Amino acid sequence: MRKTAIQTKDPHIQALARIVGGEKSILYKKEDLIAYDCDGFTVHRHLPKAVVFPKNTEEVAAIVKYCHDHDLPFLARGAGTGLSGGAIPLNGEVVISLTRMKRLLHVDLENRRAVVEPGFVNLKLTNSIADRGYYYAPDPSSQYCCTIGGNVAENAGGAHCLKYGVTTNHILGLEVVLPNGEIIEIGENGIPDPPGYDLLGLLTGSEGTLGIVTKITVRILKNPEAKQTVLAYFDRVEDASQAVSDIISAGMVPAALEMMDQTAIEGVEAAAFPVGHPKDIEALLLIEVDGISAGISEQINEILHICKKRNVREVKVAQSEEERARWWANRKTGFSAMGAISPDYLVQDGVIPRNKLPEVLKNIRAISKKYGLRIANIFHAGDGNLHPLVLFDARKPGETERALAAGSECLQVCAAVGGSITGEHGVGIEKKEEMRFIFSDEEIVAQTDIRDVFNPKNLLNAGKLFPTPGRCVEMKQVASSIK
Amino acid sequence: MSLRESEIKSGPACTTVSLGNYRFSDPPDPSKWADCVHCGMCLESCPTYEQTGQEQHSPRGRVHLMKSVGEGKLEITEDLIDPIFTCLDCRACTTACPADVDVGGLIEQVRGQIRQAIPLTGWKALVSDFFLKGVFPYPSRLHLLGSLLKLYQKSGLQTFARKAKLLRMMPKHLAEMEAILPEVGVPVRKKYKHTNVIKAKGETKHTVALLTGCVMDVMFSDINEATIRVLTRNGNDVVIPQNQTCCGALHVHAGDRETGRRLAKQNIEAFRHVDRVIVNAAGCGCMLKEYPELFRDDPEWHEKAEQFAQKVEDISKYLHDTGYDKPKTELNMRITYHDACHLAHGQGIRQEPRALLTSIPGVEMVAMPNADRCCGSAGIYNLTHPEMAGAVLESKMEHVPQDVELISMGNPGCMLQMALGVMKYGRNQKVVHTVQILDWAYQKEEGKEVRI
Ligand SMILES: Cc1cc2nc3c(=O)[nH]c(=O)nc-3n(C[C@H](O)[C@H](O)[C@H](O)COP(=O)(O)OP(=O)(O)OC[C@H]3O[C@@H](n4cnc5c(N)ncnc54)[C@H](O)[C@@H]3O)c2cc1C
Ligand code: SF4
Ligand code: SF4
Repeated sequence: MRKTAIQTKDPHIQALARIVGGEKSILYKKEDLIAYDCDGFTVHRHLPKAVVFPKNTEEVAAIVKYCHDHDLPFLARGAGTGLSGGAIPLNGEVVISLTRMKRLLHVDLENRRAVVEPGFVNLKLTNSIADRGYYYAPDPSSQYCCTIGGNVAENAGGAHCLKYGVTTNHILGLEVVLPNGEIIEIGENGIPDPPGYDLLGLLTGSEGTLGIVTKITVRILKNPEAKQTVLAYFDRVEDASQAVSDIISAGMVPAALEMMDQTAIEGVEAAAFPVGHPKDIEALLLIEVDGISAGISEQINEILHICKKRNVREVKVAQSEEERARWWANRKTGFSAMGAISPDYLVQDGVIPRNKLPEVLKNIRAISKKYGLRIANIFHAGDGNLHPLVLFDARKPGETERALAAGSECLQVCAAVGGSITGEHGVGIEKKEEMRFIFSDEEIVAQTDIRDVFNPKNLLNAGKLFPTPGRCVEMKQVASSIK
Repeated sequence: MSLRESEIKSGPACTTVSLGNYRFSDPPDPSKWADCVHCGMCLESCPTYEQTGQEQHSPRGRVHLMKSVGEGKLEITEDLIDPIFTCLDCRACTTACPADVDVGGLIEQVRGQIRQAIPLTGWKALVSDFFLKGVFPYPSRLHLLGSLLKLYQKSGLQTFARKAKLLRMMPKHLAEMEAILPEVGVPVRKKYKHTNVIKAKGETKHTVALLTGCVMDVMFSDINEATIRVLTRNGNDVVIPQNQTCCGALHVHAGDRETGRRLAKQNIEAFRHVDRVIVNAAGCGCMLKEYPELFRDDPEWHEKAEQFAQKVEDISKYLHDTGYDKPKTELNMRITYHDACHLAHGQGIRQEPRALLTSIPGVEMVAMPNADRCCGSAGIYNLTHPEMAGAVLESKMEHVPQDVELISMGNPGCMLQMALGVMKYGRNQKVVHTVQILDWAYQKEEGKEVRI
């Protein structure tokens, strides 16, 4: 084990080490920092100045205040599973890792809420209350590892958010350290919507640019009485997407409605959790309905009927919890599974009107051909949230750039059919330029103005979420500074 | 045929390939890190990340670090040692990783590079050389050590040392270890030195060879005895090749791949004439199955290692697959089962040992949450990283059910560590090897009085 003295003369590192209580709670050597040079988005990398591991809100506030007073850029990091580069220390930030603030503080079944520290892992919440018949609904596929703090920052969604809503629908209160070190509480006593502006809504999804979340009160739900899961294989993508539309138009709200295309199926079948999906189908649907027992089997029958009407090749209902779990593990590890068929991937995160899916997929196939890169598609079909996964090999010169361009074009396609450039993974570094596909310069300035209220020195997570100002924006800033 | 000494001593043809800043022969396999997409799905499976919350102590962080050296972005320095050697090599990340990244394999290869670039110095080198190179590979020396230990335990010296508080002079973790040392018996390799074949009871269905293990045979000869009884009871002739040696796992984990290869060659030769090699120590079994990894640059030995690896099987899986007599007498016990890392994550053996246990009438299995979480033993990790090993053990013990009599597992290293846990946290369970329970059941059936 290493000696316990700080082996650097850097006064900032020594001061930060004193705040967090010594050598074991700070990293500053290159060998230790490398692990923090990126998150789940690996295209841009930068070493942080240091990584600190506070144990409580007071330490977070003291670190933030120190950075604020000494003009050191800083940012928060949870598990680093973000897919848009939100936790990448582009400016050599001091990274404030919240992984040691990982306690479940309080469970209040009567009022159906729980209080957690930001580093508490998403799935652990459900695991801790499952035996009492409760669960936490937002279930990003990264839920095995990602933190609830990171979920709040990214307003994470998941397969089951079709029926239950994304993270923002489940947040009742936050404790936040503002960029000057001040600690505030929003939604006190679990009353989520006090009069005045909806600050909870503003902070949720702010991608770590407005403050550092140090405590979260979330809504927990009672387990549904019954649950059934259907797997359907389609020869044609058009039929699968038509089936999705039919299910929704029939007035059903499944808990989850997921689609994978042929390349995605190839990936998951080559990886660690294969199910045995046929490889020659164009698409599969994974559909789950839940609720009170009465009515579930009618819904299932109707879904089976719709699938058949849309020329399904094979459709089956999970016969056991074990089978259901296998189907979900296969789906939820879908992104990482691409590692089995490609050294690198880039996940895109567009939103499209459901009925445009066949058209969008056709365009994506054309993009794939144009750039000579394979693109797999995993789709939260129910809410139109499409994840094109651009497969590439960063070791091959020029391929990373091609992948980025292909990814950007996929988003353009989504925006062009009336959709959006992010459903749940956030903008981060990755899509900040693509913000222009959907916002005018004025609209972007309106948003950075809000950021400046919270984060006037722009030390917290700078260079994310919004594009580098365009010409007219710069003009405006010049004008306002003259005033 | 006897072993060709010269061949075994010489390594593979010296290779000059270097990979980024890995400059010695046998560099890590870059296709292993190429599979990693940096998703982080492995983080929560990792005991050292759980304890530290730090990503350089996580599988993803370690892969990234090892890759950075391979890509020439980072030199091999002293500061690399902490993240790479704090890994328990527990392989939990390999199970968790959707892209099947072999983090453990990479870690071992990189440790090989680090140990060549920065050799151990001082007392660490002395201790490591003494045990890893000077004792484990030599049965006679191990047996001598065993006899000394026995003398220590039986002569009253142990009682004296404990009473006289002499143990206080040792570092705390060593003193703790002393307290849980099992009572030393007669190593089976010594006992059956002049027995060619231990005959099956009744009709012979198979002939199998037993890997007795090095430390195992000295410290846990009773488990080897139980294994032999269970095998012969189920129609197996058992042979114990005398020129077998230590499996080399401890050497490979420590980065001494050269000694690992030497031992591997000796074992491959020693078991040349048998078609089944039965192992009752998960760590050793996993190592034997992975011998081919050691000979990536040596086609001839690679081929031999492949053939050898095919023959290796863990005792629980062997019994489960080839069939065994279900005990008929009731053994009224509540048992919980701990998945040894190198059985569950390393060899994918999870259900077989549980099935063996539940097939014994009267056994009530109590599930252990997170049963496949490392206990912190990890070979000699508990000696080299006592602080982390202790923290990992503490988390493990929180999950061991209170209301059981036995904690069963398939790896002697874990048994020592779990016994330490039982002692440290004031629990009262007995820690036993799965095969011992089956043996116990058979003996009871035969009307014998048994004490586990
Ligand atoms: C395989 C895989 C599958 C995924 N599937 C999904 C999915 O289905 N749905 C989905 O929505 N996302 C998904 N993601 C993306 C990612 O897991 C989510 O964005 C998640 O919410 C990030 O959490 P984290 O703890 O890893 O945060 P990090 O990556 O560490 O941080 C993300 C951002 O949040 C900020 N942040 C972190 N903690 C705090 C805090 N306490 N206070 C303020 N800001 C903070 C960071 O500064 C950063 O900007 C997936 C990722 C992977 C790798
Ligand atoms: S080792 Fe596997 S699980 Fe971990 S980051 Fe790499 S690909 Fe993901
Ligand atoms: S082998 Fe174990 S300790 Fe090492 S990185 Fe993997 S999970 Fe962590």
